[in-house]
Amino acid sequence: MTAVAIALVVLATLLIGARGVAAIRSTPDFLVASRRISPTLNAAAVSGEYLSAASFLGVAGLVVKDGIGALWYGVGFTAGYIAMLALVAAPMRRTGALTVPDFAEARLGSAGLRKLSAVAVLVIATLYLVPQFKAAGLVLTVVSGTPYWVGVVVAGAAVSITLALGGMRAATYVQAFQFGLKLLLFIVPAIWLVLQVSPDTRREALSPVEFTRFERPTPVEFRLDVELTITEPTPVTISGRPPQVLPPGEYPAEAGSTWTFAEGASVPGVEGALPPGGEGWSRPLLDPNDAGYPLLATLSVLVATVLGTMGLPHIIVRFHTSADGRGARRTAAITVALLSAFYLFPVVYGLLGAVLLPELFLSAGTDTVVVALPARVDSGWVGSLFTAMLSAGAFAAFLATSLGLLLALSGAVSHDLLPGATVRRLRLTTLGAAVCVVALALPSAYLDVGVLVTSAFAVAASTFCPLLVLGIWWSRLTARGAIVGMVVGLVSSAGVIGLGFFLAPPPGLAAILLGQPALWSVPLAFVTMVLVSLGGRPPAWANAAMLRLHLDETERRRR
Amino acid sequence: MTRQRRVAVASPQTRLALARRGTGVRADLPHLPHLAPADLERARRMHRAQLRRALVAVALLAALIIGLPALLAVLPWLDEIRIAGVAVSWLAVAVLPYPALVLLAHWQLRRAEQVEQSGGEP
Repeated sequence: MTAVAIALVVLATLLIGARGVAAIRSTPDFLVASRRISPTLNAAAVSGEYLSAASFLGVAGLVVKDGIGALWYGVGFTAGYIAMLALVAAPMRRTGALTVPDFAEARLGSAGLRKLSAVAVLVIATLYLVPQFKAAGLVLTVVSGTPYWVGVVVAGAAVSITLALGGMRAATYVQAFQFGLKLLLFIVPAIWLVLQVSPDTRREALSPVEFTRFERPTPVEFRLDVELTITEPTPVTISGRPPQVLPPGEYPAEAGSTWTFAEGASVPGVEGALPPGGEGWSRPLLDPNDAGYPLLATLSVLVATVLGTMGLPHIIVRFHTSADGRGARRTAAITVALLSAFYLFPVVYGLLGAVLLPELFLSAGTDTVVVALPARVDSGWVGSLFTAMLSAGAFAAFLATSLGLLLALSGAVSHDLLPGATVRRLRLTTLGAAVCVVALALPSAYLDVGVLVTSAFAVAASTFCPLLVLGIWWSRLTARGAIVGMVVGLVSSAGVIGLGFFLAPPPGLAAILLGQPALWSVPLAFVTMVLVSLGGRPPAWANAAMLRLHLDETERRRR
Repeated sequence: MTRQRRVAVASPQTRLALARRGTGVRADLPHLPHLAPADLERARRMHRAQLRRALVAVALLAALIIGLPALLAVLPWLDEIRIAGVAVSWLAVAVLPYPALVLLAHWQLRRAEQVEQSGGEP
């Protein structure tokens, strides 16, 4: 059933794309159509492209893993559109630039800056794509029981086939449909879950207690190798072998094994994860691994998500579909409302997951909580139906975001970084990029979807946010200032995050500053850009190049 | 039926890539449309007026986004107070921010459009 549901999503996406193209007779029709698209429809398309697997699965998963504080992710993801509305949307639309590299060249006239911006697009898109593929692979793994790598490869194949068959043509309609679909597939199961669980479960969800003992015989499926720390004699059945009582010590749980813990057994410890429901878990601030700086950690996630939204390559291009600057601004404002509706619901899955499936934290499987919940609540066909709905929604989210990002990424490679683009090469680049992302997603199984996506936001906030904001509002910005500032921002965000993948996490404060660097890397990039620009002199046309971004269409319409 | 010239319709990124095909170089200096002195003057007024409004909106956003977590950090007793069984501090992160953000977006949109209607005059 789930496979059928996922196939239906892919088919519907392709069909609507084909219908949208068929409805258009000529090229002028097409261009005019894009001018007639209302801000509401365009906002739905923006939200459709934006709501990724990280939003659909990751936020709820992080609630189970890190606690209530993880809900700040949704707030940041939504608030980003207010920064966009106030600072970027209308002037950016008036440049006529489809991408940030285009903007860089249109405003500052530097080919070097265009190339540097394209590199930043590459980094942001990759950091954003890997978790999408991880999530898609995970969903397929959960619903079909195959190993993780099969899921990732199948997800990669699905994307490649969609692209080969024409991808997301007439993309505004497809993405607007995708948003409606995702909203429906997320909200309806959430309401069903709340009504279906017992009043006791509802009460427990609102007043959680730490998960220290298994309340029922609990099978835990390990899809990855995990090291368990057992502190008191624990009765457990491993993969159908005779029941045994493990003495305290360290035990490796191999991928593919299933450990069934007996009722009343104490919950083992896992490195890098805390059991849900504890005191730190219930605090409404983000404190991953109890590092001890909840306010700082929360703020750095918020800074990254709020300021990074304006720099996401697959979102900026959507604003170009608006008729003019005014339309782009309205689109951003309506997007805030649409996203707000969606982000009211991850908390339902997170809270119910913490009560009904707390053992997911043992197997690094918290990202699967959304798709695993219906079966836990109802083992009959109704549960399967809702599992299928949620898997289809998660897959739709994966598909929508991945296709947009892959196109943005291959666009940057094939026409910003290499000279002389052709359609053929654009297609090959897209497929090549998909293969690379699959290869990167395979070893990323242990990384949290939501955390990786936030790294992409941090890089966008440290590079494109200062470039766009200063480029739009400050006429003294020079190309040199922009280049130096972007390099500093790129190194201090992507460089530091990249180092973190290879080095053991440092303790305490350093872990937050290095793991989620936006709090210092964004101001650093801004200051560098301003100081270097002040040391130089902008060309004579710079003032007019900036001012023309603020000349509104109201005036032109009146004439 | 009149024959129409057929043109490939593709995503914006594809169209963009196609537009540049073959030339190898991109448009050089920013192609500035000539701004009439009156337009330039209007653009200057708009820039000033919109910047002021944008900064106020961003300041309010910062107050919400920084202020709310800070408030929850210094007032841990908010975890204990419950409305209809739900901790107030949970409502403050799960529900409260969204209507506030929608209102802020609406407010800023209206102000930005008002500036354009009045031509940047205060």
